[in-house]
Amino acid sequence: MLELKNLYFTVPISDNGNSGERNIIDGINFTFEQGKFYTVTGPNGSGKTTLAKLIMGINPISRGAVYYEGRDISSLTITERAKAGIAYSFQQPARFKGITFRDLLTMATGIEDEKQLMDIIFHVGICPMSFLDKEVDAKLSGGEIKKIELALTIAANPKLAIYDEPDTGIDLWTIGPMVHLLKKEISRHPTTTIVVSHNRVFLEAADVVLIIDKGKIAFSGDLTDALPFLTDLNVCTYRDSCGGNPDAE
Amino acid sequence: MLNNIDKQLLKTVADMEGLPKGAYNIRKNGKLLQRQTSANIDIETNAEGTGIIVTIKPGTKNESVHIPVILSEAGLYDVVYNAFIIGEDADVTIIAGCGIHCGTSAPEGHAGIHEFQVGNNAKVSYVEKHFGAGEGTGRRTLNPTTKIFLAKGASAQMELTQISGVDEANRVNEAILGPDSLLLITERVMTEGAQTAISTNNIILQEANSRANMISRSVMKGNSKQTFYATMDARAKCFGHIECDAIIMDNGTNETMPSLKAGHPDAELTHEASIGKIASDQLTKLMSLGLTYDQAVNRIIQGFLK
Ligand SMILES: Nc1ncnc2c1ncn2[C@@H]1O[C@H](COP(=O)(O)OP(=O)(O)OP(=O)(O)O)[C@@H](O)[C@H]1O
Ligand SMILES: [Mg+2]
Repeated sequence: MLELKNLYFTVPISDNGNSGERNIIDGINFTFEQGKFYTVTGPNGSGKTTLAKLIMGINPISRGAVYYEGRDISSLTITERAKAGIAYSFQQPARFKGITFRDLLTMATGIEDEKQLMDIIFHVGICPMSFLDKEVDAKLSGGEIKKIELALTIAANPKLAIYDEPDTGIDLWTIGPMVHLLKKEISRHPTTTIVVSHNRVFLEAADVVLIIDKGKIAFSGDLTDALPFLTDLNVCTYRDSCGGNPDAE
Repeated sequence: MLNNIDKQLLKTVADMEGLPKGAYNIRKNGKLLQRQTSANIDIETNAEGTGIIVTIKPGTKNESVHIPVILSEAGLYDVVYNAFIIGEDADVTIIAGCGIHCGTSAPEGHAGIHEFQVGNNAKVSYVEKHFGAGEGTGRRTLNPTTKIFLAKGASAQMELTQISGVDEANRVNEAILGPDSLLLITERVMTEGAQTAISTNNIILQEANSRANMISRSVMKGNSKQTFYATMDARAKCFGHIECDAIIMDNGTNETMPSLKAGHPDAELTHEASIGKIASDQLTKLMSLGLTYDQAVNRIIQGFLK
């Protein structure tokens, strides 16, 4: 349903007066299948967020193409991609002044009706009802804004959902239900789901684990086969929490 | 009588559909149009005949008074001096505002000088909206001044908004805070085209445990220019905060000068100021929810000025 063809994101660099280029995404080819759960991991700065932003149209593609449901969407705007059914939860969500969670939910869904909005929040389950009229501003805690960010993507009922590190700042009690929720959405729609994460629970939940290193796909496959790569790359939280042993707690 | 333009202006500046409940005083083109008092709220013309005195009895609760001004007479510059005397323990809302409709090339303007004496433990909420409209090219000028005196334990919440259509504004807010008093001012100003607005704020935290918070939100579109001055002058153990944010669109310009003066060792004064374009992460977020670029810009500005 989503195909990345020889994808590059290149930025100019200058080093001591020498100007050159750096491929932050360095020739990625990959096909995501409908209704599958993908977890993308890899060291900090390896290009995970950049890749996600290329899919959403937030970063311009330097070379290559993105195909979505069989059509080349490389030149579509962010708005057009959203309307085509792609939703994206940011790693660092924007904070506003004078815009509430309710406002954003209405933008994401077109729904203004109080009852229907409450139903959505209830269905998502991650955010308490009291969030509805909270301003999405600098006062929200890191975890609160990430819950809102995730809820917005689910509320939009996308065909393709991309979550960039949805678990950062999220309390231990929410991460389990979060994974469960994403899986439920997959079986309901089915939503093709891409989660960028270093968290063991997301790696375990995935149908396919993708490891990005230096802008390339270093590995794709199931978690068991990914383990040697993860240990090699020092994917920090995973290794810290279980010492490379998937059975350790 | 109220014609359609009057009604439109009154709706925009004072949320009035027809005549309001409770006390009111409607001024049109420099003259009294209609007035109503209530058992607890008296309105009378001052001795000089240059404005009104609104007297609110001590203990008056949950009442409101509307005092809108509308202007639609070419060439008129209307100056008015209004005083508000708010009795002890009262809790009231005052809705002011000025709408100018300019149909010709002659300038029109209004200067409303409003003085508030807020009694011991009284609470006042003051809402003022300024707005210009009309197809005429005449300059529309609005120069409001508010002077606030807060007695012991008094509090005032001021919502001051210049919506749009005002070519020139020279806005002044002054306040002197008594013991345990609280002042919250939120000022929102939107300018466009070649409009200019200057806002000068001088808040004196005179007595112990007084608190003041001044929030300013400015949006400059087109080639418009805004200047914002705010001074918190602390003369006792007190708390003061200034938060001023300006969003520049097109080629607008802005100067923001918050200033803090602590004349007492226990004064606590802070400020935050920012000037810049709409943050790109905000635009991107709203577009990723399906809004177009222009819709996203409008929504962000709408929230910012809410
Ligand atoms: N527009 C850009 N211009 C220049 N450099 C960029 C740009 N965007 C990203 N980078 C660089 O590309 C690299 C990859 O960034 P990216 O945000 O994709 O990493 P990441 O894998 O998501 O890392 P993390 O795990 O820390 O979130 C970083 O070194 C970053 O500084
Ligand atoms: Mg990232």
